[in-house]
Amino acid sequence: MTTAAQHEHDTPQAFEPFGPRARGFLLRAGWIRATWCTALFFLVGMFIVVGSRAIFDMHPVYNWTIITLTGALTMAPLGFLTGIGAFDYWFYWISGRPTREEDHSGHGAKAWPDYFRINTDHKVIGVQYTVTTFFFFVIGGLMAMLFRAELAQPGLQFFSSQTFNGLVSMHAVLMIFLFIIPAFAGLANFVVPLMLGAPDMAFPRLNALSFWLLPIAGVMFMSSFLAPGGPFAAGWTGYAPLSVDSPVGSMFFNMGVQWAGASSILTALNFLVTIITMRAPGMTFWRMPLLVWANFTTSLLVVIATPFIAGSQFFVMFDRVLHTSFFVPAHGGYVLGYQHIFWFYSHPAVYIMMLPGFGIVSEVVSTMSRKPIFGYRLMALSFIGILILGFSVWAHHMFVAGMADWLRVPMMISTLLIAVPTGIKVFSWLATLWEGKIRLTTPMLWALGFISMFVIGGLSGIFLGSVPIDIHASDTYFIVAHIHYVLFGGSVFTIFAGVYYWFPKVTGRMYNERLGQLHFWLTFVSFNVTFFPMHYIGLRGMPRRVFDYSNQFGSLNMIISVASFVLGVSTVIFFYNMITSWTRGPIASSNPWGAHTLEWQVSSPPPIFNFDEIPVVVGGPYEYGVPGARHAILHSAPAAEEVHA
Amino acid sequence: MRRGSIVRILGLTVVFAAVQAVVAVAFKWLPTSASRQMDRITFVYWFATVICIAIFALVMAVIVYSVWQFRAQPDDESDGLPIHGHTGLEIGWTIVPAILVIAIGVVSAIVLSQNGRAGTNPLHVNVTAQQFEWSFAYPDNKNLKSHELVLLVNRSTRLDFEALDVIHSFWVPEFGQKQDAVPGIHTHLVVTPTRTGHFTLICTELCGLGHATMRAAVSVVDAAGFAAWIKKQQSGVGSGGSAAFVSGGCGGCHAFKPAGSAGQIGPGLDNLEADAKKAGQPLADYVKQAIVDPNAYLVPGFQKGVMPTTFGQSLSPQQIDALVKYLTGTA
Repeated sequence: MTTAAQHEHDTPQAFEPFGPRARGFLLRAGWIRATWCTALFFLVGMFIVVGSRAIFDMHPVYNWTIITLTGALTMAPLGFLTGIGAFDYWFYWISGRPTREEDHSGHGAKAWPDYFRINTDHKVIGVQYTVTTFFFFVIGGLMAMLFRAELAQPGLQFFSSQTFNGLVSMHAVLMIFLFIIPAFAGLANFVVPLMLGAPDMAFPRLNALSFWLLPIAGVMFMSSFLAPGGPFAAGWTGYAPLSVDSPVGSMFFNMGVQWAGASSILTALNFLVTIITMRAPGMTFWRMPLLVWANFTTSLLVVIATPFIAGSQFFVMFDRVLHTSFFVPAHGGYVLGYQHIFWFYSHPAVYIMMLPGFGIVSEVVSTMSRKPIFGYRLMALSFIGILILGFSVWAHHMFVAGMADWLRVPMMISTLLIAVPTGIKVFSWLATLWEGKIRLTTPMLWALGFISMFVIGGLSGIFLGSVPIDIHASDTYFIVAHIHYVLFGGSVFTIFAGVYYWFPKVTGRMYNERLGQLHFWLTFVSFNVTFFPMHYIGLRGMPRRVFDYSNQFGSLNMIISVASFVLGVSTVIFFYNMITSWTRGPIASSNPWGAHTLEWQVSSPPPIFNFDEIPVVVGGPYEYGVPGARHAILHSAPAAEEVHA
Repeated sequence: MRRGSIVRILGLTVVFAAVQAVVAVAFKWLPTSASRQMDRITFVYWFATVICIAIFALVMAVIVYSVWQFRAQPDDESDGLPIHGHTGLEIGWTIVPAILVIAIGVVSAIVLSQNGRAGTNPLHVNVTAQQFEWSFAYPDNKNLKSHELVLLVNRSTRLDFEALDVIHSFWVPEFGQKQDAVPGIHTHLVVTPTRTGHFTLICTELCGLGHATMRAAVSVVDAAGFAAWIKKQQSGVGSGGSAAFVSGGCGGCHAFKPAGSAGQIGPGLDNLEADAKKAGQPLADYVKQAIVDPNAYLVPGFQKGVMPTTFGQSLSPQQIDALVKYLTGTA
């Protein structure tokens, strides 16, 4: 992929009076330096541990649990980031040398290697994020297919119970922390600055750091399979005290969450500052596209909630390593404390994984129906409603956990009330379809598929919100069905909608429409055959996270497993379509959907600093069908003539 | 909005609702209730189901109708009607769902409070959960201990939970009720069985390697049957080796042909002689040690700390001797 080369910054370094010294290949930021820095930092971490233990006469001196924690899980990632160059500019500053003018040498992508280094261009980072997260989507999906093979029949056929529990836990962790949350961050990274009329994110170097934290977390989670005693296997929820007593592999989870969480928090801060301070002239909050609103509220959720999961995992690790007793009842620990802290993050996390999808669907439904979003202001306000209510419902995950009895009814009411702002969104999308000129393109199919599947997930959420039904259904396959209707039929469908919708903008080429539709229908059908029967087997008595189950569920589980393999195969079509279209698809126009938002008013792919001239926003983002209405004025916009009158 | 389209939407809604109603009724989505609490849960379930069917039918009807009616022709590049909103409609779809969910909330809260009442004279059972077995004690009957849960039909029962290691969760699907057993805190649950029969208690909180097979037998009997069971337990008739094997829950983890068990968590018990030889111990001593001190010697390929170490206390010496004889084939 090449970008429009209007801004060439090939200033030779020799002419920079305060530029960085020319460096040999070992010292130049990049993969070679990353390799030896990772090893060096690991050794430093290791000898901090070994040295201290030798001085204080603790045996064994080589305590590999502590060495793994300090060397491999803490120091080595820092070494990697240092080596790859995430801190170079800041170190340069800190070292007190005179600041140099930004030469933009690390900005934009002219060839594919530019995607494999520290890059400060939000568009490059967006692509880095999205491609990386889809890599982990494949790994997580393959793990699901492995344990579905195990579950096709009752009894243990292929794995040990440790491996089975590990696969189930890892599947969830990769899908949540390495796919859904960062995939949204990736799409938003590409689109949000463009939508705001900004040249980049507010903190481009921080943005690069946020991305490079992510593969660290992914590699850390997966390498727990190599740990003695097996991978972490206490479920993605990692409930104490089971997670405290588990083999060392569970430390990889405790620490992986820290790196993924740091990535989330930094990105969210970046979004907040960008959205608050970098809107183009005339872009009031009430003129922002709903995707921007979605990422604004999501970022607030991330910044407020994520430190809680970080804390919960640190406590578990301290119980193991430092012999604290946060969750050790024999020493006064409080086991339910873990669940309260964990869910205080992890319930808002459900909205972190859903609100950006709401934003994507709002863009797609409005554009493809050729109509303004129905009730735009209420749509924006309902984001705020979900944000506030989202912090008052966490204990609905604990209705059978043994917490204070009186807490259940208020938590139930707030849980049920979240259906109200969510319902507002669904009804507004439906009303947006009304009297529209609907174009059933691939992104629109995913958006409509999302609305119907998400309503199923929302309604099963009403069942689970009701305490008496939840007491019966809790920790059964009904929960598994619910979470997949919300996170797969919900979030993942919107990610697909977004990827297809912005594919021409990101790559400058058009995907294959027929393959896109085939991908949708195959996924839609196999998704439902996979997950709908899970409601039934759950209510009938099959608990989740088991490799063995009552024989009465044998035939349904076989059907589910077969359908899940079809679901896996359907994504092959997606990847085939993406790869072939990116390399040799037809060239796309700058605004193939005829959308009004700003990202479509520049070339595809957009110029390196997005806009040659700062656009002036003069109206709402969805004024389809309004004669003469404009969202923004761009003087040199190549796509201006395509705006529909 | 055209009157005709409203009629057609309503028609489609009725069709979708009818299809869903057939799906809801044709399959038995809940287990056949065996407790008063499950009867009430079933009521809330149907209350919520009716509301949800109506909402989903309406949503699907609008989507299907819109796609069918408002789909643009391939060469149609024009825009739709610029409708920006409708205050009345927006207030409506804020308030009506709020009323519906609060109705579900009120019904749920009433049922929750009813399901938590144990009445004046409940049967007390103390439930102990540990990796990976359940045990039950009857404080009203000289603290009789059992590995099978036996309850009285139509008698409200208060179960008090204790967990010895990690969190476990008590669930009998036909009873509907569920409660975690949490180390360090006391939890309880009320169940009033309404029909006699045999059920299975399932652990529903991931508790480690043997979680999937952490089950226990549950029987609901009438008063005469309960008295007889108590008497039988107290007189120790049930202390034969095969009875100890069943009440100890051994078959959940171990395969043993004479007992017809096929558990896969622990080593199979059909080749004990070979294992004893590997351990270098006489057969009977080896088997006894493996029961009371399972971590002393591990069959290759199995992990330490999976089998509970409490059988030395929970089984009587006579039961252990009978169990050893049963397992070694010398009974």
